[in-house]
Amino acid sequence: MWKVTWKGLLAHKLRFVLTAVAVVLGVSFMSGTLVLTATINATFDDLYTSIYAGTDAQVRGIEPVNAQVGPGSTPRLPVSASVLAVVQGVDGVEVAEPEVDIPYVQVVDGAGDPVGGGAVPTFGQSWGDNSDLNAFRLVPGSAAPTADDEIVIDKGTADEGDIEVGDRVDVLSLLPPREYIVVGIAKFGSQDSTLGASVVQFTIPEAQRINGMATDQYSDIGVVADSGVSQEQVRDDIAAAIANPNVEVLTGTELIEENQDEVGGILDIFNKVLLVFAGVALFVSCFIIYNTFSIIVAQRTREMALLRAIGASTGQVQTSILLESVAVGVLASLVGFVGGVLLAAGLKALLDLTGFDIPAGDIVIPPIAFALSFAAGLIVTVLSAMIPARRAARVPPVAAMRDVAVEHRRGFGYRIAIGLFITVGGAALMLFALFGSPSNAIYYLGAGAVSVIVGVIVVGPVIAVPMSRIIGWPLPRVRGVVGELARENALRNPRRTSATAAALMVGVSLVGFITILAASTKASVADTLDEQLGSDFIVSGGSGFGSVPLSPAIAEEMAALPELGPVSPLRFAGGTIDGKGEFIVALNTETEDELFDLGVTEGTFASLDVDGVGVSTPYAEDHDLAIGDTIDIVFTGTGLTPVQIRALYEGNDVFGLAGNFVISIESFDAHFLPEQRLDFIILARLAPGATAEHGQAAIENVLEPYPTAKLQNNAEFRETQEDTIAAFVNLVYALLFLAVFIAIIGIANTLALSIYERTRELGLLRAVGTTRRQLKSMVRWEAVIIAVLGTLLGLVIGFFFGWSVVLALEEDGFSSFDPAPGQLAIIVIIAGIAGVLAAVFPARRAAKLDVLQAISTE
Amino acid sequence: MTATVPPITTAAARAVFASKIYGHGDTEVRALDGVTVDFDRGQYHAIMGPSGSGKSTLLHCIAGLDRLTTGDVWIGDINLNTLNEKQLTRVRRDHIGFVFQAFNLIPTLTAIENVRLPMSLAGRDADDAWVDRVIETVHLADRLQHRPSELSGGQQQRVAVARALASRPDVIFADEPTGNLDSKASAEILTFMRQAVDEFQQTIVMVTHDPIAAAYADRVVFLADGKIVDEVRDPTPDTVLAVIRRLGD
Repeated sequence: MWKVTWKGLLAHKLRFVLTAVAVVLGVSFMSGTLVLTATINATFDDLYTSIYAGTDAQVRGIEPVNAQVGPGSTPRLPVSASVLAVVQGVDGVEVAEPEVDIPYVQVVDGAGDPVGGGAVPTFGQSWGDNSDLNAFRLVPGSAAPTADDEIVIDKGTADEGDIEVGDRVDVLSLLPPREYIVVGIAKFGSQDSTLGASVVQFTIPEAQRINGMATDQYSDIGVVADSGVSQEQVRDDIAAAIANPNVEVLTGTELIEENQDEVGGILDIFNKVLLVFAGVALFVSCFIIYNTFSIIVAQRTREMALLRAIGASTGQVQTSILLESVAVGVLASLVGFVGGVLLAAGLKALLDLTGFDIPAGDIVIPPIAFALSFAAGLIVTVLSAMIPARRAARVPPVAAMRDVAVEHRRGFGYRIAIGLFITVGGAALMLFALFGSPSNAIYYLGAGAVSVIVGVIVVGPVIAVPMSRIIGWPLPRVRGVVGELARENALRNPRRTSATAAALMVGVSLVGFITILAASTKASVADTLDEQLGSDFIVSGGSGFGSVPLSPAIAEEMAALPELGPVSPLRFAGGTIDGKGEFIVALNTETEDELFDLGVTEGTFASLDVDGVGVSTPYAEDHDLAIGDTIDIVFTGTGLTPVQIRALYEGNDVFGLAGNFVISIESFDAHFLPEQRLDFIILARLAPGATAEHGQAAIENVLEPYPTAKLQNNAEFRETQEDTIAAFVNLVYALLFLAVFIAIIGIANTLALSIYERTRELGLLRAVGTTRRQLKSMVRWEAVIIAVLGTLLGLVIGFFFGWSVVLALEEDGFSSFDPAPGQLAIIVIIAGIAGVLAAVFPARRAAKLDVLQAISTE
Repeated sequence: MTATVPPITTAAARAVFASKIYGHGDTEVRALDGVTVDFDRGQYHAIMGPSGSGKSTLLHCIAGLDRLTTGDVWIGDINLNTLNEKQLTRVRRDHIGFVFQAFNLIPTLTAIENVRLPMSLAGRDADDAWVDRVIETVHLADRLQHRPSELSGGQQQRVAVARALASRPDVIFADEPTGNLDSKASAEILTFMRQAVDEFQQTIVMVTHDPIAAAYADRVVFLADGKIVDEVRDPTPDTVLAVIRRLGD
């Protein structure tokens, strides 16, 4: 049977190449993702291993709050000088050095431009002299900082900002900018920087000053043990000596693992998101493989029957087809894996260009990446060929004497019933996930969405006929008999047409969903800005709600400007309430709702002094809270603190800015750690009588020393938001492109196979006077019908996805549902064009047929 | 292009020194070897000959489905040799009708759509009165909206004949039109084709190996080894058989 399989493969090389391409692309995406994340993971593992290579133990404060909000990692309580003294006295401790970490500082180069930022972090720390604890090494000609106005910067930052030892540079932080002398440039091991991060190192007192710490407070203490003392030993001895529940001690190894786990967790999410898209691509490939094998089996009915007639068993026939799929699967998966490794290498190079300084290490290829990708490619191929193989096995020997390529039209009733059941069930599951707020809603949502798609695929062959008829309705009118032939060709094999269209449908449903979601987000952002923001100006760090925080000094200076009326910064931090990490917003509550209308229903924001809190009405209702009640909040600075509810507000803005808890800036300053006082954005309104030009000039004057701060009016700010949304949408489109591309290949493949099957018919058409151009047109329009069919089905599904999700997010500020009719229409047109492109190759083949040979084809 | 003899006869189609050679040197096969033949207007011609005699090749070349190696073929006053692929397609569409042995119809089109296909392809309006008359002649009126798969073999061939007639071509070429039919259906088809010549003054050139079918024609041309070897006017099955026997010896 192997021989039959192999000969079969060789005889149909081209179609198998096309089939394999679909699998290759999906497998490449998957293996590329796995290899890339493994490589990045290994890079970070190496980084942390080298950072903490000489650290035997670290003493640090606990995380008072279990919520990560704002820049930097979760704030920890400081450790005091008295703890340091205890640690230094512990037996087996050779060195114990205090360290101070600053969540945000950024160097401004000589040209006034901030260095670094964007994709990579910029932060600060104290310089440590112990070379076991500080992995940075000064380059020749450098010195460690000894005075408060002296700093060391990493070589990457120095090179990017064209900064040399002895230069004076401004450094941004939560304090007003200050000028420092660069006394040293340091390399991280052999690297210029820690993966591109920009690190500024200060003296301990200066680092404490920037963080607002007392002179006897540190972020942590690094410990080197005496030789012969194990990390565990020194950790346990220190912990016993300190005996303070607010202080924890870790070994160097634990520290490395903790950091690796944290990065691993982020990469894991990244990995999963990309794998979902790879999965979509592979899912789409299933249809291509299924279709190819179905058509091949149909065309080889006689061959199968002959095999059966001369004594092959049904099992042997089925096996021969499955072996073909195994061969295709193995080859495609291998090629796909190699492609994936190359893809990962390319992306790694691309990351280098975006500012990450990744050491020129090797690409890491974990065996599991190979195993998973290979298995996925093989399983997808073989599973997809299963139904065609079974169909082949059912060919009775007598079919050898009968005509070929018969399509059965049985079971359409069952199809409708089963398909509708799955679709409706999936839709119900989605709605339950969205509105029933179950735990693990995301899984229900995913399962529901997949069910909806699968259900429509099951009904596909039934609805393909009427839908193709409608889509193709204008064709005979504008393209005459050629148009009619195109439409009828699309209709003649409903199962084939619908499977081909389904491949496109899957990708387009997600494209439609994202398009509608983005349009609705845009509309809702516009609503929020128009109705809730009473500002004339918005200052932000970088793009929109940028990642670069602002010094609180900016808001203070702006508040003093006579040209401006109310000014309010927005600031976020995490607090623990009822045992859960919650998002707490601080704003200038004296401005009440003039700048930011959160819809106060009871009480006033102005009454929010240091002991007060505003709570959103949904949270208050859920937790049975009323105005005047007291709740306990764990703040990073003051720990468990009772605060009184002084205001209730609706707070349904699309940015989710208001969250469920609002406090005043004064309260923030009082309750949180000083280094957390970084502003996110600043809203400002003109003073009565002041002109926009004057206001703008005055603010620009204030912002002069802060090159990261960006001033925008509401319209510009809105545009920035829209650009951010558009960038996100484009990213998703790019990730979905592969799935759509595979589907287009599928259309080309199906058409090529159909044309092969209809050779004699095409010959007849040519004989009775169809021109080559007309034949091409016929193939092209058939492709357009299939493409538009898949797109329309996809958009219907995408519309439902978008509608339900936007509706579910109404409470979160999604005030507008925008079905984006214009964009959806453009998608349909693009699909039509894609159909035309898919038809280029098959149409050319059809037109090239030799009339005489075609007519005499058996 | 050799010997561009202008059409001075009333022939609907003619071949002049027509040769078709496959292969080179030792493997050279002369499927047609300098055939000159006229097919007069308003006549029913049959071409006969043993397998490999070149009869199908001759038909394909005159019908513009294949090209000669040397010589010329004319449809009316059009020399097919001078035409490019596109012009040749137009000639087939507008001046020639076809009836093949099998698979004559487009399965996705109804009977009437198949009949009108050449006109539809040309974007011309069909002459409805004429089409109605043709359909009446071949007794298809009650089958017009059926697809080919819903028609018997004989009915399918009748649709094919109707299609060939519908565009009122200069000449209709039929390649073993009854080859797949039983004798009753064959007789029907041959009668319709005879009627088309007698009543509608059509010209038909038919390749067949069946002496009974050939007897419906006005004239039978015999081919052997790529050459015309004999000709019978007003044939009967017996006169045709006699020639075949003689050639076989």
